[in-house]
Amino acid sequence: MFIQKGKSFGFILIFVLILLLLTVLPFFVDLFYQTFLTELFVWILFAISFDLIFGYTGLLSFGQALFFGLGSYTVTILMRQFGFNTELSLLLSIVIPILFAWFVGYFSVKLTGIHFVIITIIFAIIGNIIGDTWTSFTGGSDGLTFSPPPFRLGLFQIDLMDIKGNYYFVLTVVAISYLFLRRMVQSPLGKVFISIRENEDRARLIGYNVQRYKLIAFMIAGGLSGLAGGLYSLTLKYASAGYLHWSVSGHAVVYTIVGGMGTLMGPALGAGIVMSLEHYLINYLQATDLVVGIVLVFMVLVAPKGLVGLIQSKFKRRKASV
Amino acid sequence: MSETSETILKLVDVNKAFGGLLAVNKVNLYVQKGELRALIGPNGAGKTTLLNLINGTLSVSGGHIFFKGKEITNLSPHRISHIGIARTLQITSLFSGLTVFENIWTAVQSRKKFFNPFIRALKWQDVREKTESMLELTGFQDKAQLVCSELSYGDQRILEMGIALSTEPDLLLLDEPTAGLNSQESMLLVRKTRSMLSGQTIILVEHDMGVVMELADNISVLHYGSILAEGPPDEIKENEEVKKVYLGSEHA
Amino acid sequence: MISNLAIAILNGIVWGLIMALIALGLNMIFGLLHIINMAHGALYMLGAVVAWYLIEITGSFWIALVVAPLCVGLIGLIIERGLIRTIEDKPIITIICTFGLMLAVQQLVLMIFGGSPRRISPPVAYRFPLFELQYPAMRIMIALISIGLMIGLWIFLRKTKYGLWMRAVVQDREMAVGLGIPVNKVYMWTFVLGSALAAFSGVLAAPIVSVEFMMGREVLIMAFIIVIVGGMGNLEGSVLAAIMISLIQGIGSLFVPPSIATVFALAFMIIVLLIRPQGLFGE
Repeated sequence: MFIQKGKSFGFILIFVLILLLLTVLPFFVDLFYQTFLTELFVWILFAISFDLIFGYTGLLSFGQALFFGLGSYTVTILMRQFGFNTELSLLLSIVIPILFAWFVGYFSVKLTGIHFVIITIIFAIIGNIIGDTWTSFTGGSDGLTFSPPPFRLGLFQIDLMDIKGNYYFVLTVVAISYLFLRRMVQSPLGKVFISIRENEDRARLIGYNVQRYKLIAFMIAGGLSGLAGGLYSLTLKYASAGYLHWSVSGHAVVYTIVGGMGTLMGPALGAGIVMSLEHYLINYLQATDLVVGIVLVFMVLVAPKGLVGLIQSKFKRRKASV
Repeated sequence: MSETSETILKLVDVNKAFGGLLAVNKVNLYVQKGELRALIGPNGAGKTTLLNLINGTLSVSGGHIFFKGKEITNLSPHRISHIGIARTLQITSLFSGLTVFENIWTAVQSRKKFFNPFIRALKWQDVREKTESMLELTGFQDKAQLVCSELSYGDQRILEMGIALSTEPDLLLLDEPTAGLNSQESMLLVRKTRSMLSGQTIILVEHDMGVVMELADNISVLHYGSILAEGPPDEIKENEEVKKVYLGSEHA
Repeated sequence: MISNLAIAILNGIVWGLIMALIALGLNMIFGLLHIINMAHGALYMLGAVVAWYLIEITGSFWIALVVAPLCVGLIGLIIERGLIRTIEDKPIITIICTFGLMLAVQQLVLMIFGGSPRRISPPVAYRFPLFELQYPAMRIMIALISIGLMIGLWIFLRKTKYGLWMRAVVQDREMAVGLGIPVNKVYMWTFVLGSALAAFSGVLAAPIVSVEFMMGREVLIMAFIIVIVGGMGNLEGSVLAAIMISLIQGIGSLFVPPSIATVFALAFMIIVLLIRPQGLFGE
């Protein structure tokens, strides 16, 4: 829960190093890898937003795809149909999913356990069906394409049609989001979320309005999932109703479990490893889902705290023996 | 027992029915400020249900509950906590994956109205200081970094008390705090609790008659959901009906 | 109009009965083992796929109807012994574990069976005249078989020793152990039975929908919704909820596009969940 000063310095060091590495990388790898990494950043954002509600607050929602899809469609439709600029569209790709998350969450947090899981899935399915059927608006599973204009902030401008530019843009947004979430989970608000995860009844008895804070977590996660969707569409210049399917939520679950829930860096790591695994396997087998499925089962049985959990326990063991 | 100017908690004709079963039957209760009222009775008499009704975990089927003169019937548990009522449970309910420090912190923090998502929690001086003084009060300074599950059962019960106290209550509802403890550990808990208290009103549900006789100012005996008898410990000890129903069969 | 309505109602009931079988299996597994079996849809799919292979080999739907659930029951046994045994009682872990299993199984089937849907020719080709149109006897037969299976299940649970044991373990596990009931065996056979039921619905559904590796996905979610809405642990509730939902979808489709009808059914589910989280018929 609380991170000592030493660990915090360690984190800053590692974070900066990784950022530096990622900044320099595009000069050494080809465009295909740059696009792959850009997509990876988006999925990392989606995974850490899921970690906020699942790893930190204890709410298992298989319905986050709804907000991802909403974010992606917000960006696409606003820019394609209404000529909005990139900055505003991206901002709205956070705001509109938050509003939907407020609606969905308001009802969903009244329930707990499996009921919560089911109701979030139902909402997601409804969203998916509407997306699939309202083809005049959403393009159905064929989707919609568009060309985003450059992102402008004051005098600064990035061309999103350029793969490298896109890469840096997404990297920046995701890095900022990561730091934002990290600060939040260490903050007093984060402590409230964690206490709900640890013992919801106790939290309620000592005076926390548990439903309200579950809703807040749900809305923040929804907004960040939407941002991920928006970035995804900006990168691929495309949105499709397939993004609304609950199996998309499944990706976040897999990355988070494999990496280690409740750690933020776990889901990031998990996303990196699983996506790279899938990427390499595609060359040898068509059966990526099979491997992912087996890895998931294996992880859950052997290392329920994920890879990060394994690493942490190795450190603890070394400390104890010193 | 009737209402006086010092009455802090008032239950008027409180009922609770579960389907056809009347667990609490027209209970009238008046507790004075600063009093330690023991609530005893055989298993299933409705003691825990009564506590649950007072702290909002259950809603009443009838009747009213007043605290400090204001009606609190059927308010939700988190609102009741802010009105000044804290509760410990018979089955220890802590934030089990967190450390002692974090448990107390969470309880201390609960008194605040706004939780800033942009600052580091540890930098919150006010909460930090209060947490550290609570750790001293409960004697957990040295064990602050231990995870709850690493504590002995007796320590966990003390921590449960500490968490309740950290919410600065005026009324404490204690549900069998000595449950699962041997007589030595019970005495330790009682001593520790005494040192941590400072004039709060207490309703104590207990089976350990030694503890009850030693601590209680007054005793209310509950039987099949109704109050059978009420009075100071000496009176209750001599009460024939109570002896028949409860003390006779259980007190060795 | 009347004939359309009659067909919609009949189709709704038939599909509802098939869904009821899946939901019953899921409900038993959840009610007893407290396992949320995300792989249940995959078991349904396996039932249909195995049936397809059996029909290819033997040409008989009836053999497939009997043998496929046996095969899938065996697979269920392996899953229970190998996997579930190690993780029982931790709900989040079982959800994720069975989810992984579902991914793996679906992919395996994709690799072996292929991606294109295949049809199973109906075992009976006769069509009843129904008002102005005709209704396939096959569907009536499927409905009758489903009802027969449910009656069989009811008899099993109420009248046999194993059924009694199962109900005892659901009520109070510790007391069941105390009474000498082999609880582990009961768990195992419950999972096997649940898997077999899923497979049965797969076989019965196969002539109606086509057989493909993805067919479990949508069915799984619907099955969960039915179990929750009908009341977890309440088997009769699952049957009623399944038929109700199916009818809403079916009749609704006469008036609005089918997907919108599904949305209405789903919205209805949300309302039920909020008003009565224990389900329509749960306690």
